[in-house]
Amino acid sequence: MKKAMAILLTAILLISVVSGCGKSESKQTANSDNKPAANSAEKDGKKVKVRLMAYNQESIRKSYLEFLKQELPNIEVEFQFVALDQFNSVLNTQLASKEGPDLIETGGETTLLASAGYLLDLTDQDFISNYTDTGFQAYTLKDKIYATPLQSWFEGIYYNKGIFKENGLTPPQTFDEWMQIHQTLKDKGIKPQSMGASSWEPMMKQSMGMILNEFYSKQENKGFDDKFNAGEVLLADNWSEALTEWHKIIELGYIDSKMLGMDYDQALDEFATGKSAMWQSGPWALETIKQKNPNLELGMFPFPGTEKGTGWMIGGPGSALAINKDSKNVEAALEVLRVTATPEAQKALIADNVGSSFVKGVEVDLGEEFADSSAAFEAGNVYGPWLYWLGGNPIVESYGKALQEVLSGSKTTDEALKDADKTAKTIRDSM
Amino acid sequence: MKKSSLIILEIVLIILAAIMLIPIYYLLVTTFKTPAEAALSPMGLPKVFMLDNYIKAFTAMNYPRALLNNLIVNVCSVSLLVAFSSMAAYVIARRPEKIYKRIYGIFMIGLMVPFQISLIPLYKVVSGLGVMNSLTGVILVSVFCINMSFSIFLFKGFINTIPFELEEAAAIDGCRKLRIYWVIVFPLLKPIIATVCILNALAVWNDFMTPLLFLQSPSKAVILLEVYKNVGPFSTDWTAFFPMMVLGVIPMVIFYLFMQRFIINGVVAGSVKG
Amino acid sequence: MKIGFAKTLRNHYVYLLMIAPALIGFSIFFILPTLMNFGYSLTNWSVYKPNYSFIGLKNFVELVHDVQTTAAVKNAFIYAIVMTLLQNILAIPLAVALSLKLKSANLLKTVFFAPAILSVLIVGYLWSFIMTSADHGLLNQLVQFFGFGPINWLGNPKLALFSVLFTQLWQWTGWAMVIYLANIQSIDETLYEAAKIDGANAVQRFFKVTLPLLYPSVSFNVLMSMIGGLKVFDIIFSMTSGGPGYSTETITTMLIRRGFTEGRTAYAAAFGVVFFLLVLIVSKAITWSFNKWEEKIS
Repeated sequence: MKKAMAILLTAILLISVVSGCGKSESKQTANSDNKPAANSAEKDGKKVKVRLMAYNQESIRKSYLEFLKQELPNIEVEFQFVALDQFNSVLNTQLASKEGPDLIETGGETTLLASAGYLLDLTDQDFISNYTDTGFQAYTLKDKIYATPLQSWFEGIYYNKGIFKENGLTPPQTFDEWMQIHQTLKDKGIKPQSMGASSWEPMMKQSMGMILNEFYSKQENKGFDDKFNAGEVLLADNWSEALTEWHKIIELGYIDSKMLGMDYDQALDEFATGKSAMWQSGPWALETIKQKNPNLELGMFPFPGTEKGTGWMIGGPGSALAINKDSKNVEAALEVLRVTATPEAQKALIADNVGSSFVKGVEVDLGEEFADSSAAFEAGNVYGPWLYWLGGNPIVESYGKALQEVLSGSKTTDEALKDADKTAKTIRDSM
Repeated sequence: MKKSSLIILEIVLIILAAIMLIPIYYLLVTTFKTPAEAALSPMGLPKVFMLDNYIKAFTAMNYPRALLNNLIVNVCSVSLLVAFSSMAAYVIARRPEKIYKRIYGIFMIGLMVPFQISLIPLYKVVSGLGVMNSLTGVILVSVFCINMSFSIFLFKGFINTIPFELEEAAAIDGCRKLRIYWVIVFPLLKPIIATVCILNALAVWNDFMTPLLFLQSPSKAVILLEVYKNVGPFSTDWTAFFPMMVLGVIPMVIFYLFMQRFIINGVVAGSVKG
Repeated sequence: MKIGFAKTLRNHYVYLLMIAPALIGFSIFFILPTLMNFGYSLTNWSVYKPNYSFIGLKNFVELVHDVQTTAAVKNAFIYAIVMTLLQNILAIPLAVALSLKLKSANLLKTVFFAPAILSVLIVGYLWSFIMTSADHGLLNQLVQFFGFGPINWLGNPKLALFSVLFTQLWQWTGWAMVIYLANIQSIDETLYEAAKIDGANAVQRFFKVTLPLLYPSVSFNVLMSMIGGLKVFDIIFSMTSGGPGYSTETITTMLIRRGFTEGRTAYAAAFGVVFFLLVLIVSKAITWSFNKWEEKIS
């Protein structure tokens, strides 16, 4: 008897503890259906929940999400933001254990994910024809399309028009001119360029600006990225010259190791408050700059090359939306992609983040800030090599981290390229 | 020691304590400043005490909901830990059989192996049990994967110091084993239960990795996830982020202010060799 | 034989029942993943190669030859050793000072311990604002106030790891201190009296009486800060993300970079196994040497 009592007591304690959690838990999750339930709800005409995992923050998708809400009353899009530094970690973990989101904001790793069989083949969907073909270039694997592009993005050099005017400067036509601008400003005690180099991204992109000018612009290098993906060519053999050229900006001290202690926000702050004359970024920063300093007059010019030309912008199709093949809500996810392919949705996207659209017939006025870059846009000089690489993100990350070591003096530019080649090889080997 | 040197020592220590508080002071005053003001005089008192930044942070973080999620995770994790690990530790401490020594050895592996090494298999397990993206999943991982070993270690060390006699007397009385445990032993464990509760409450509250990996829905986010989400590269002005940090630590600070004696005693008790 | 076994089982089932929830849960959530991890370490599984096969010890060979990975292991050891040394060298004198009859002893204890209750993530964010090389960086403003040039705390690859370490000293020295303090207060007063009679001065008393009797807390604190140091993750994550370059990359951050960011699951699993062995060796070594010390004293 007593034994039974004691066991009962233990059981009650355990159950009360467990169910205590269970109860409060169910309160919490009362309105978040689990997936199978959502499926049956679909048949009843109730709301279906699809999870969109993204590395761009909710605020730059606000109008778009609002649009989806109106357009698709039966689908609730749950927006999960994971910052880029952890995005691949979280996504890969989830996919590897079949717990991935329904919709994935993808970039450089799309083809990699597709080749591992995680993504739904979208080639035969009706809405694919709404887009121009160039939009799919980075998201196609073996002639099959795995993601639809959101608006394009680009990065160039923002400059403070006021400071430039006061010092009689105009946007540079060549890299040497650009260096001269740095020197002129430095002589007058103005910090020429801000850079948040504690992240590996800005140097990675700025150096590639030079590589676009010196390497990718040449006819004989068309198709380089395909060969690179196949492992037939190495960066170290091809980019070395252009990268050495860019390295002058470090030798001359215009990018210095002090910048390794500064992040994106702080660099933005310096530029916006007029403490420095130039800063490399893209249209998404514009609103923040204006908020900080409404009187600032600014423009953007493309990365200049050694010879006179229109220059190049770093950029590409930006991110795209792909569907998880294992999603239990494929139909609803497809529905989201379908309405995203309309001009209205594209306008909503562009409202929060300027860029051109890949949907046919959507014209975008970039705004006067980007007038200095119009020649580069017209020439189609917008590119980001790694967006077309297999495993592009880890490769440029190791390249960018190596450039940080270059900046601090512990590596050479050639070693940085070799680092990137090595990462590319490990990624190929792990496929 | 001479009285004069004691006074000098005390002054030195007070200065040191004041220096240690500078970062906290800086955190607090910056919450009321604009970036320009903060850059100009980082240590000065704010010109006006504006609460705008706090209100914005409070809304952006969905504070009440995040706080509630934290409380649920904490209360459940800590209660489960106390219930399960005290029972297990009791058996391990009291039974002479070899098998229990072996089991103890298995539990102690958890003290040394960082759970981060097997995140992907863990992820598979959690998803296989269908508790992914739920507070239950976070609770289970916190309890069994991260904190169980240390709690058992603490309980076992403490139970070793309790004399057998009471239990023997009860056994002669005819009390059965489980009853002996709950009626006689468990109440004696009060001091170490307090320790286990406090140490685990701190550990679970300040654990960032588990919620980051196992909670996907924004509606289930805990406070640290909300802070993390808002630090993103697209934040507008940096002083607006400071109130979020304050809101992120304030529950623990309040806990500390009221419970500091227990917390410090708990930390000490947790260090006594088992 | 059979009857005996049944009897044992009957006697034991309550005990087994009591230990079951902990053991089952621990097996599912800790032992099972750890074993699976050992298994994966012998395969070539990657996120991008769902159909993996057995490749033996190849991952381990690759690991030893991976310069960045070995650099990360080195960083973690530097961090753990320096952290352990400084934390304990600072905490013991503080504890001794607080054990003297000071009027403000309790308040001081509260203040020194306080940073330990804060989230490491948030502490990291706070200190990266303080240590930034942007104009508003508090630490550099202070440094310049005293007439020195600004220091690139987190941007200088030779310094960054130690800057991060400094924040953790700020946060955890108080934790070690309260443990030492309790230990000191438990030391029998008469031992000091006896030493005094023998003519020992304060310093001699510290080395002859206090320090040897501190061995329980020294061994605990050293073990904890060593293992904690080898596992360091949150603070790196929020302050430097391993940069600049690879200068603050540690075992855990590298494990996550290789395993998740690059999707090389099996490689990371092998790294995890190595990590497991390293921690095992280090903690065995520490326990062994402290046991030796204990024997010598008693």
